[in-house]
Amino acid sequence: MTLDAPTVVDPDVDETVETAKPWVVIVWNDPVNLMSYVVFVFQKLFGYSKEKATKLMLDVHHKGKAAVSSGNREKAETDVSRLHAHGLWATMERD
Amino acid sequence: MARVPFRRNRSAGYDVVLEAGEAAVLTRLCEELTTLLSGDDEPSDPSDPSDPSDPVLERLFPRAYLDPTEVEAEADWQRLVHDDLVDGRRRALATVEGTLAAAEVRRGRFELTLSEEQAQAWLAVLNDARLALGTRLEVTEDLDLSGLDPDDPDTAPYAVYWWLGVLEESLIDVLSG
Repeated sequence: MTLDAPTVVDPDVDETVETAKPWVVIVWNDPVNLMSYVVFVFQKLFGYSKEKATKLMLDVHHKGKAAVSSGNREKAETDVSRLHAHGLWATMERD
Repeated sequence: MARVPFRRNRSAGYDVVLEAGEAAVLTRLCEELTTLLSGDDEPSDPSDPSDPSDPVLERLFPRAYLDPTEVEAEADWQRLVHDDLVDGRRRALATVEGTLAAAEVRRGRFELTLSEEQAQAWLAVLNDARLALGTRLEVTEDLDLSGLDPDDPDTAPYAVYWWLGVLEESLIDVLSG
């Protein structure tokens, strides 16, 4: 699995994302997915640490959504499809 | 469920023990999901808001573009990935059904061993089954599942939903360990 960690800024919704990464991938809260499962998927798909994956999951849970990755359109589309394959409710939007 | 249904074994695999009734419920859920997916050979038309989609299929295959005016990009993306997403779910279902069918039955219990890849397929199917059932039951985060009577036909689906969560937590636990 390719990791993009070196170029990803802290993907908090409220924080600025590099202009070279015009698309952000948002994961939305849903009442079904287990918190442990969401953390597991963030770690598996993005190679995030347990701490980072847990923080993102808690943002999804408490704030209703979190930006989990960013990049060009192709990368965002790929990330969305991987998240959908794992049953997470993800969308992409221009930053 | 006092037992732990999933355990990591010494040869980098996972041992599973299910009661016969549990295996039967899982098999039935796999069949229902397979049937649901077989009706989804054609992607729904994102430009047609009147398309009468099943809410479970909408939950399993959501839109990629939040902006509803991104009609063309959404349609292109659906064309690109939808069949692969359906195939991935079908393959995972086939893995779970195959491993359940090959299980050894000892004293009424189903015993099987999963590889890492098969265990990931089990996780995907357990999660999809919860998503499907949770969507059908319109569950909310405030849903209180304590004290359900599994023999009460009105609450039995909620008991299955709760049980799937226990099973999934156990599998995540061993996969993360």
